[in-house]
Amino acid sequence: MTLPTFLSSTLVLGLLEAAPLVLAAIGFTLIFRLNGFINVAFAENITLGAYFAVIFNSILGWNFYVSIIPATLLSGLLSVTTYLIIYRPAFRRGVGKTELIILSVGVSYFIRYAARILFGNDLFNFNFSSTSYLKVFGIGVTNIQLICIGLVAVISIGIYFFIYKTNYGEKMRALADNEELAMISGINPTKVSLLIWFIAGSSAGLAGLFYGTFSFVSSSLGWNLILIVIMVTIVGGIGSIRGALVASVFVGIITSAVNLLTTNSLYGEIVLLIIFIGILKIRKARV
Amino acid sequence: MREKALHLKNLVKRFGGRTVVDIKDITLGTHGIEGLIGPNGAGKTTLISLITHKVSMDQGQILYYKDRKEIDISKKSLDEISRLGLVRTNQIIQDFESLTIRDSLLLSLATSKQEKFYNIFNEKELRKSTEKEIEKYLDYFHFENPDGHALSAGEKKLLDIIRCMLLKPKFLLMDEPTAGLPQNQTEKVIELMREKTNEEGMSILIVEHDLDLIWKVTENVHFMSEGQILIQGTPDEIRNNKTVITKYMGGCDA
Amino acid sequence: MELLLSGYMIYSLSFLLIYIALATILHLQFSITGIVNFGIVGFWGFGMYIFALLQLKLGMPFVLAIVLSCIITGIVSLILGSIILNLDDQAVLVGTLAFATIIEYLTTTEKWATNGVMGLGTIKMPFDFGPVTDLVFFLFILVCLVLLILYTAKLKTSSYGRLLLSIKDNEVLSRSLGKPTFRHKIIFFTFTCMLIGFFGALSAPLYNYIFPRMIGPGITFTIWIALMLGGRTRLLGGMVGVVATVGLFDYFIETVVPIPTEYAEMVPNFKFALYGLMLILILMFRPLGILGDRKREVKR
Repeated sequence: MTLPTFLSSTLVLGLLEAAPLVLAAIGFTLIFRLNGFINVAFAENITLGAYFAVIFNSILGWNFYVSIIPATLLSGLLSVTTYLIIYRPAFRRGVGKTELIILSVGVSYFIRYAARILFGNDLFNFNFSSTSYLKVFGIGVTNIQLICIGLVAVISIGIYFFIYKTNYGEKMRALADNEELAMISGINPTKVSLLIWFIAGSSAGLAGLFYGTFSFVSSSLGWNLILIVIMVTIVGGIGSIRGALVASVFVGIITSAVNLLTTNSLYGEIVLLIIFIGILKIRKARV
Repeated sequence: MREKALHLKNLVKRFGGRTVVDIKDITLGTHGIEGLIGPNGAGKTTLISLITHKVSMDQGQILYYKDRKEIDISKKSLDEISRLGLVRTNQIIQDFESLTIRDSLLLSLATSKQEKFYNIFNEKELRKSTEKEIEKYLDYFHFENPDGHALSAGEKKLLDIIRCMLLKPKFLLMDEPTAGLPQNQTEKVIELMREKTNEEGMSILIVEHDLDLIWKVTENVHFMSEGQILIQGTPDEIRNNKTVITKYMGGCDA
Repeated sequence: MELLLSGYMIYSLSFLLIYIALATILHLQFSITGIVNFGIVGFWGFGMYIFALLQLKLGMPFVLAIVLSCIITGIVSLILGSIILNLDDQAVLVGTLAFATIIEYLTTTEKWATNGVMGLGTIKMPFDFGPVTDLVFFLFILVCLVLLILYTAKLKTSSYGRLLLSIKDNEVLSRSLGKPTFRHKIIFFTFTCMLIGFFGALSAPLYNYIFPRMIGPGITFTIWIALMLGGRTRLLGGMVGVVATVGLFDYFIETVVPIPTEYAEMVPNFKFALYGLMLILILMFRPLGILGDRKREVKR
């Protein structure tokens, strides 16, 4: 293909790829900022978002767009539940940062395989009443993907506004920086933490269900993404919404560029992972 | 007087906008035991951390003198500097949880030749060759249970000091070594310091808040305040210096 | 007697030994040196595939193929180690995980070498003793495992062992005693990853035919849960943990317990869900595992 076609295709496909990643990364970066550890089980917040949507859409037969709402809320609830039942008690028991990640791997495996027990080993697809296509720069784009991008834009702006311009957001940032000081200033750590975990979980769930629309829903949906989500968070800066957005777009573009150039979509992943290891080295101070 | 050990030039360290250390031109180690005193927050520990490169300087140069050679250690790593004979003890207690007291000392004494992943049969030999030296220190400080772990803060502090002594440093930086030690152990540490500097040619810089100890033990004192070394002199000169009195002793330290 | 020597039992026990070996190597890397290696399966699979390629595509004899597999695995781990081992634990964890994922993907994409998802085979046993071939290979693995365990035991009382423990406990303090810790970590990481590759290479003739899907993160996870469950500070913690997990599930439940076929598919799901749950419970309530006591360590 010609260079201009390549560039425009890469850009469009890149943005489409990046859209759900932005949501996932924003959620992840919030938790990382608040609690200071890498929550690998966040992958399952993503996956379960898709599964929750499957319950309403494929199993109960609801309209896909309507299903988004309960799916997102349930994802938020799941996130809050893991916080209350597992992570907060773990913090209080003095589990160290490294052990917390290992613990979160345990949580990840538990939820992932519990999902397989409940839903079975098969893959799921969503049912859409109608799908329409549009051509953007010569690439076929579905209305779902456009809605996804629209939602991502709205939600990112919303969360950004919430974190940086509101009272609650300020409290969250204070809590993340210095818990003792925050508590002395009258900030209730539980309320703020619950809210953040809920937002992060909902964001992840939304990301998951949109990923599910790309091809199918499987139990490893989130797990396959988590390393990239971590990378985006580190590149964009921990706790930075803008950073997550920019880094996600960057990742989306690289992925689509590599996929357009090679035969196997796994190459995009491999390139990203190699870059990831490089980023770890460069961002040594940050992590 | 003896050959200087360190020459610090234009050494600066800032933490979040505040200049914590700002040394224009200082020479250290010209006397057997030197003291570094100053109010809390003067930057004494930071200065020591800069010298041993536990913390990186923002600008400046540190020259180290050994065997009549001048070595620029500004860019050298923490472990390199230690191997060159420039060692520090820690103000905040540091220890190895997994190692017993004896293990810690064996660690200090093990050479790089002995520390190889394929060299796992050298234990007996190592223990035999180091037995005398280790027993000397264990007896001197009356460690009750050398094959157990250091439990009290005092024991850990002493262990830190002995580990450093076993490295046979040329220049030893001691950061409040006697804080938290019972009086009899403090006496022993002082005796050890004197022995090392008189008989083995070691130079020591000791940071202390216990001014009586400083006047008793040191031959040369540096007074540090707000990141700068303002005055240097003999203990008598320093204790009678007006600036030192107002900035430091007029308060309630020591 | 016949049951004891039955082909399947020897096959399962051989794998059990491999798992115990991997858990012991993780003990060397994590419990002694403090390296959080979440890419175990990457080095294992890499060693396995390289060995298979050397034998099948280049026709190399067993010993040469094993030695070369170890060396090549060593080179790769040396490169990875140099990049990530001076970063903090979280970075080492995700870095090694990323590495293992790259290896997993590469075995699928590089069809020209690995046959992709179609798999590579057949990898034969290195010798032929007729009906006792499998038994002899099992004994060979056993000897290697015993040597590994003896090495680990001796290491812990040697000067190198103390050095590694000091790095795990307080790397800065170790460096202030003049120890070049980064260099030591790289060397030991390379050495131990070569061992992982070695046992990976030994796994190839056991499997006979190898596929990319064998190199998923499940094995890394299983080894970690085994070590944590058995007791991360104890030499035999890995062994106890492996027997309690792999021995229980992959041998006992899968073979001895009769499970109706409809449920057979679900068994791995229950297994991993249970592993996950166990890991959570161990880290929260009994961090030192079965063999350790209840005390929460200050670090690790």
